[in-house]
Amino acid sequence: MDKLTIADKEFTSRLFVGTGKYASNRIMAKAVEASATQMVTVALRRVDIESENDDMLTAIDRDKYLLLPNTSGARDASEAIRLARLARAASGINWLKLEVTPDPYYLLPDGEETLEAAKVLVKEGFIVLPYINADPILAKKLQDVGTATVMPLASPIGSNQGLNTRASIEIIIAQATVPVVVDAGLGLPSHAAEAMEMGADAVLVNTAIATASDPVMMAKAFKLATEAGRYAFLAGRAPMSKTASASSPLTGFLRDDR
Amino acid sequence: MAQTLKINGTEKQFPDGEMPASISELLSRMDIDQATVVAEIDGTIIERKKFSETDLTPGQTIELIRFVGGG
Repeated sequence: MDKLTIADKEFTSRLFVGTGKYASNRIMAKAVEASATQMVTVALRRVDIESENDDMLTAIDRDKYLLLPNTSGARDASEAIRLARLARAASGINWLKLEVTPDPYYLLPDGEETLEAAKVLVKEGFIVLPYINADPILAKKLQDVGTATVMPLASPIGSNQGLNTRASIEIIIAQATVPVVVDAGLGLPSHAAEAMEMGADAVLVNTAIATASDPVMMAKAFKLATEAGRYAFLAGRAPMSKTASASSPLTGFLRDDR
Repeated sequence: MAQTLKINGTEKQFPDGEMPASISELLSRMDIDQATVVAEIDGTIIERKKFSETDLTPGQTIELIRFVGGG
């Protein structure tokens, strides 16, 4: 697999995975391993001061996996900036999945607030990977202010609907000067493959793996599909036509008619 | 006279003289591994290496935050 470079870091895997919604840390760790990813997303939440806290970071080998803290829960730029600073203090690294989702029903990102937060965080030295609607104009504005990627959604977070925004993501890819990571809504390995065949640089998957009947096997399926899609993109698709084009010779048939 | 700290949105009362003196002391009383936590006092992030030397005073608002699974 050809390497993907984001900021100054090289990745051999083009599948990033989330760590939410798993039945246990043990299954999460096994699925992460099966995915062969090199970057995992995590969220920040209040410590539960009334009961015992499960520390999920002990389940993640930080020598193998780069942590990508997200700003989930942020409803505007200022909340996202606060979470970003906390994430940096907690993780010691400046990578960040920037997400601002004021609408709890569809969890669609607020582009205006995301752009505003990105401007501040890039200046503060964060490596910003913004989660956005599949909006080509916004994607350009974000790359212009210095985000490390753009991460357009395929469909609403956790919906598993697949690549509903295909046409807009194609435009984003055509215009991008930074890697394009298709994030959210990919429900099946074939969706990931489709995104990669289009020329996406990577995909980010959580729910489709974590809530599958066998998350570990599904993680492997996404790994293979992501690789297959990338190889297909690099290979260049064969031309499409409306009529058939025989694969076998049209001469030398075993018959006498003409 | 009880002393109060607001911790993660909840008012916690401590009998006089029993309020934890630092973030470190608060975490160890709550049995929380401080290596996994980040703290804010009145909106200011406290670096982990300063957990033991940052004095707590009554009336402060403290946020204790940690990583959880997320997408």
